[in-house]
Amino acid sequence: MRFAFYPGCLVLQRMPEYEASTRAVLRELGIELEIVQQATCCGSPIVESFTPDWVYLAAYNLALVERMGHDVVVTVCGGCTNTLTRAALALQDPEARAEANRRLEPLGLTVAGQVQVRHVVRLLAEREEELRARVVRPPLPPRRRPPLSPPLAGGQEGGRLRVAITNPCQAFRPGDVMGFDDPLEPQSLRRLVELTGAEVVDYGGEDECCGATLYLANRQLSLAAGRRKLEAVREADLLLHSCGNCQLLLRRFQRLIVADGIHPRDEPDLRKPALFLPQLVGLALGLPEEELGLREGTWR
Amino acid sequence: MKHPEACIQCGTCVTVCPVEMVGGHAIVTFLADPEASDYSVWLCSSCWRCQEACPTGVNIYELMMEERRCQAAPGGYQDAFEKVLACGLALEVVQEELDQNRAAWGLEPVELPSPDLARVLLRLER
Repeated sequence: MRFAFYPGCLVLQRMPEYEASTRAVLRELGIELEIVQQATCCGSPIVESFTPDWVYLAAYNLALVERMGHDVVVTVCGGCTNTLTRAALALQDPEARAEANRRLEPLGLTVAGQVQVRHVVRLLAEREEELRARVVRPPLPPRRRPPLSPPLAGGQEGGRLRVAITNPCQAFRPGDVMGFDDPLEPQSLRRLVELTGAEVVDYGGEDECCGATLYLANRQLSLAAGRRKLEAVREADLLLHSCGNCQLLLRRFQRLIVADGIHPRDEPDLRKPALFLPQLVGLALGLPEEELGLREGTWR
Repeated sequence: MKHPEACIQCGTCVTVCPVEMVGGHAIVTFLADPEASDYSVWLCSSCWRCQEACPTGVNIYELMMEERRCQAAPGGYQDAFEKVLACGLALEVVQEELDQNRAAWGLEPVELPSPDLARVLLRLER
């Protein structure tokens, strides 16, 4: 089976490990991905904040997928998933579709808006049983847990890897458009993590946005949202998400969160490794760490 | 901005907003209190939680976007928008670096869009 793949700006440029691990896991399920060539930004919220014409930018990307002959495009960020799905819906309106096609014509493209957009969480959740059957070993907990980490709720040290998840907001909402899982309290990411054998830590912020998009408007508030999350997940061995924006804020900007003067020296260190869902799933499937973009020492 | 008729000012949106949780005031502040002035339609993380939780189905996201288009944008948004107009992507990517990086990861090559593509599609001439 072959699907189109739309990584989005952020993952394309900065997170090849997310693409590599997504491909590696899907390959195990017999799915090959073909990247969309000459793709642009999906359009939201950046372009949408300036013009209602954002939908034509999204339509262009959907038109590229149609030209490839694919009827499914796989996404890995919540934002691109949401934007492309809303655009496909908007293109069901004949007038909007006609206008999109007028703009696409000089480029030799047409759009019907029939492409299905599938975030990697949804794609994997729809193959949950097949994945479960392929799990060969649960991902191991860190060799040494930080000395200040609180004792395990369940009792004994060691045991299972403890994971704090952040659901990719926009892959589930708006619910009437995305049509997948519970839009306010989605369960599919949790179930996928649990099937690897890891333990999902309840910290109350699973459905709270990481705050990455807020960074464009107010850095301080955005980092505060990230800090709120890091403070809540002290019991966890690592963070896990399935969106480039979450990784950007919660992992890449972790040093800003911690070094922002809002982190007193006498507190326990808030820093944590962070994995993308396919990296954890890949480990459970027995795929080599290098193939998943996991270097020894950086996450364990 | 006109307060939406369907809004009953119940404040549910405020309680689920991640921006409000860290002390920022987003559009939901205005929905709960039409007299409020210390809020910004730009303070949003696009999580769609307020709209999903709204008991009367107010299209908060659309309302916010319409209002944004009438206002000056913060630097971060303006810069990102200019980047899309300049190269088609929200982050500037150099083809040569991308080629090297992808090859190192064993990923198939990617051709970037032509730089003026977003301007053409959005009909925004230079």
